[in-house]
Order: sequence, then C-alpha cells, then structure tokens
Amino acid sequence: MKKMRVNFKFCLWLVLAAVFVLGLSNESSANEAPVAPGIALAKQAKPEEKGSTVDHSKLKQLDKNFKSGDEITKACLECHTEADHQFKKTYHWTWKDPKSEGGKGADSVNNFCISANNMEDPLCIKCHPGWNGKKGEVNCLSCHGQEKFDFAEAFKDIQDVSAVGDKESIEIVKGIQDDVKKAAQDVGAVRRRNCGDCHFKGGGGDGVKHGDLDTSLLKPSRELDVHMGIDGENFDCTRCHTTTSHNIAGRFYGTPAEGRHKSLMDDDQISRISCESCHSATPHKPGVKANDHTDKVACQSCHIPTFARELPTKMYWDWSASGKLKDGKYYSEDGPYGKHTYDTKKGDFVWGKDVVPEYYWYNGTMTDTTVNDIIDPSKPVKLRWPIGTPNAKDSRIFPFKVHVGKQPYDLKGKNFLAPLVSGPKDYWKTLDWEDAFTRGMATLGKTWSGEYGFVDTKYAFPTTHMVVPGENALSCTECHTPANGRLANIEGVYIPGRDRLGYLGYLGWFIILASLAGVLIHAAIRIASSKRRD
Amino acid sequence: MKKVMVLFVALLAVSLSAGFANAEGNSTKGKYLYRNIYKDCSARGEIPSSTPIVSPSDKTQSQWERTFEKKKFDVFGCTTEFNNLTEANLENIYTYLHGHAADSPTPAKCK
Repeated sequence: MKKMRVNFKFCLWLVLAAVFVLGLSNESSANEAPVAPGIALAKQAKPEEKGSTVDHSKLKQLDKNFKSGDEITKACLECHTEADHQFKKTYHWTWKDPKSEGGKGADSVNNFCISANNMEDPLCIKCHPGWNGKKGEVNCLSCHGQEKFDFAEAFKDIQDVSAVGDKESIEIVKGIQDDVKKAAQDVGAVRRRNCGDCHFKGGGGDGVKHGDLDTSLLKPSRELDVHMGIDGENFDCTRCHTTTSHNIAGRFYGTPAEGRHKSLMDDDQISRISCESCHSATPHKPGVKANDHTDKVACQSCHIPTFARELPTKMYWDWSASGKLKDGKYYSEDGPYGKHTYDTKKGDFVWGKDVVPEYYWYNGTMTDTTVNDIIDPSKPVKLRWPIGTPNAKDSRIFPFKVHVGKQPYDLKGKNFLAPLVSGPKDYWKTLDWEDAFTRGMATLGKTWSGEYGFVDTKYAFPTTHMVVPGENALSCTECHTPANGRLANIEGVYIPGRDRLGYLGYLGWFIILASLAGVLIHAAIRIASSKRRD
Repeated sequence: MKKVMVLFVALLAVSLSAGFANAEGNSTKGKYLYRNIYKDCSARGEIPSSTPIVSPSDKTQSQWERTFEKKKFDVFGCTTEFNNLTEANLENIYTYLHGHAADSPTPAKCK
C-alpha cells in the first residue's frame, strides 16, 4: 500500500513537472511567435530621407526680381509644365467634392465661421492655395515653400516703398526683392508646416476646428502621435497622405479617404492613407483577440483614446450671443486654457482638452448640409454626420469630435443663412446681421426672407490623428462593460460584457453552475469510494 | 509781454512734445528700417537674433508716444543703431510701431 502511495506521488510530481515544462515551452514559443504581417510591414517604415536632385537657387528661371505671385508661378511652370493643370482639378483648389459638388467652395455650411461665401470671405480665402483666390495662378509655395514668407505683404511693400523714391528706399526695395527671390528659390517637398498652416488652424485659430489637428503636431512626442512623434517614426503628413498628380489622399465630404480596406500587401498601388494600408486587417500578434475586431471597429477607436491632448479645441460656439458691447466697445472674456469664452464678434465658446470622442458607425463618407436644405429647427440639426450602418461591409465603429453650435437660419425659408463676417464691411465690423445675411447670401446667388433665428447644430469630425503607442491604447473594459462604456450608444452589434441575450445568458450560467456541480459531485464520489477501498 | 512769452514757451513745449504724436512718417519704410536695425545689430554681435525682439503690439500707442518723445531706445536693445537714425527715419519707425500697437485698429499679430 505504501509503495502504491509513493508511486502515486511520483506520478503526480511527474505530471506537474511535465505541465510546467510544457507551459514554459508554450510561453517561449508564444514569445517567438511570428509577428503579424501588418506589424512587420509597418515596422519597415523609417524616417524619410528627402533628397532633391535640383538646387532651385541655381535656376535662371528663379533668378529674377519678381513683382507678383503669378510671376513666380509662371517661372515654376517653365519646368513643372503640368503642375497647375493637375492641381486645379483637385479638391485643394476647387474646394468642391467631385462626387457631390458640395463643399466649402460651393454652398455648404458649418458651425464655425458658417460659410466661405463662394470664396468671397477674406479670412477663409487666406487658406486657398492661389495668389488671388481661384482667379489667378496656383501658389506653389503655399505647399512647397520651405520657410514661411508673406509674399503678399512683400509685394505690397515693394510698391509702397518704391513710391518714396529716395536712395534709402531704393535700398530697402532691393532688400525686399532679394528676400522674395530667396523665398521663391527655397522650395522642396511638402513639410508639416505647409499643411499645418491651414489644417492645424482651420476654423480661425489653432485647434479650433479639428480636435486631432493643431500645432502640437509640429513637433509632437511619440506619446502624442506615434507616427509623427519626433522621438518616434517622425513621419511628415505626406507619408500617409500620399499624392498622385497633385491629388492628395484624404477624405472630403462624400468621398472617403480609402474605402477599399486593402493593404499594400494586397495592392502596392494604393495610397497609405488608412491604417490598414500599412498594418493590414490583422495588425496584432497572431492569436490576439483585437485582430478579430478589425471588421467592425476602426483602429482609431482604441488607439486614439482622447483628442486635443496637448492644446485645447473648440467644442461649442453660440453665434446668437455675439454683438454685446461693454462701455460701447467690443470685448472678450478669457476662460480655461487661456482661450476666449466670449468675443463680441463671435459669441460664446466652450473649449475642451483631452476630450473623449463620440463613436458612430462610419463608412468613410459624411452627410453635407447647404444653404439650400430645408431644416427642422425644433431639434439640433446635424450639419455633417457620419454615414454608416452596422451590417455594411465598409462600415466601422469610428471616433468623432462633435462640435456643437448655434447659428442663424431663415425663419420663413427654414434654411441656413450664410453671412459675410470677416471683411471690412462685414459682420465683425458692423455687428449688423441683416446686412451680413443679405450680402452673404448674394455671394451664393440666394436671397432671404428678412426674418432670422438661431438653431442648434452639430458637426462631426472623424478623429484619425494623435494615435497613441500600443501600450497606451484603450483597455477592453472601456467598451466591454455593462454600463457607461464608450460604445454604450452603438447599436446593431453584440458587445460581450455590454450586452445580454436574455435566456441565453441564464442558460450559460446554468451550464457553468451545472458543470461545477458535476465536478464537485464527481470529486465527492471519488473521495468516498477511495475511503471505502482503504 | 511776460504773458506772451509764457504762452509762446508753452506752445513751443506742446508742439515739441506732440512731435511724435502727430508724426506722419512712412510706415512701410519704417517697418524695413526697423527690421534692418536688428540685422545690423545682430551682425555686430550685440543681440543673438536678427529679427526684432520688440513687436509693435508689445506696447500701446501712448506707450510708443512716450518712448519716442523721451527717446528711450534702450528697450530695443540696439541703441547704437537707434542713435544713428535721422529724425525722419525715427519718424518712419515710430509711425510703423504706433500704427500696429496693441490698442491700434491693426495690431501686429506675430511676435
């Protein structure tokens, strides 16, 4: 009997040792498991080494005393013969979605400065890459100029100082012309600042419009943006926004940035605009559950936990509060983050920092609202909103910044109004809404009834920059939780931990308890029978 | 006669003190003269940057008036260049700075 016990103990230890060794071996093989192709491909990315085969300062075409921007562009086109034809067909020039013909170059409205008024709003037009709106030549230097230089100011100053005519002024003019020439020769590949001058400051200031684009991305840390971090991959914008014939990959209105969900392994001609382009649909290690999410959840949902993490972004703008004076003068009030919370010209604001996104189904396209659309002012109007459904193959759960506004509409016509705001005769100077509406609507070939009110609006922005490193991505419980999870409002998909399936849930618990009871009963019988044998 | 003299002296003082307040120099020329001062000054090694260290919007219009009336140019950090300016060019620079002061209709935005 004693010998049997010894043998039993020996066998038990042997089994335990075998289990331990096998466990170790499994762990070590897990560590050495092949990396997901999506990671392997992306890991090859290295900071770009941008070399040029041309020293533009040696070109005779650029060795001139330029008197206007158009002259500079004509010099560029002597070599880059097709560039302007290509560029003038793109969204960056037309400001119109080629599919819907909507956009800020048309009659779309937003809840920031409301409308570009057919490109007649002087502040909006500053971001159009032409020397003189859409009328003249393309300003190649707005994207290719390596250092910021105010050409418009320089050309005006040349005229002003030339008019003085004394010896000193002639010297000054020569100095300005040299600066212009130097800036015109200092061209190259597009840099972050070129894009950021407009895209970081959309809506009239740093971080106003987009929650995931602001000047913190000029020199971000890896923690702020794992792709652009200067201590990380250090990508320029064009690394993902790949460009073909001056068409820059990206989303606008009804046109998705990339709707095919392909990676470069599937097709080496695609742009690098989506996460899947480089990371594929299985970006995690083999066997990691997150890989099973990519057909329903966009990478951004977990890898951008919050936006506006370093600089604040505008979350609310109430135009109806504008126009108040203090002691007969314009005034402003500062609030948290050192930002205005009131401005006579613009109204009330709320700013947010480190904001948790809202999540919606999204197929890469957005709705668009124009001054022609009839609205229901009894509830908030969704000016621009993600399109997508749970069962559609191209839809994913995606994070958004939602900017809430209160803006003017035609009380009788039930359509939005597009006031002119920033010019010398416009609302910010006159505080006269009616005149601003009349002249603003006229820019779009429209009239209005003469009666106006203010309506609540919502405007959604897909959040796709400020991607955190993997270790800072969301944990499972942020969504897989019974109450107040991030995806609490998402319908059409079963989310374990959040959802229950009534009797099926009870059946599951019954099976677990029954199994446990079976094990315990079995063990009790074994113990009892063993004692009887002894 | 004494009263006339007092009045004359008072008028002279007012007109002198209002010299810069009413100055109508060339603002654009003033802007480049101002910038060139810093280029020369940094080339001499007196300051590290070749761009102006003082923006027009760093002061209000009345502060610029006082600075130029009292010729207190040490604020600019390049006194040698400022002291060598002609009255006409001082007036040009003053017109530029005053025209883009913090409380002017067109304050300079970039610092």
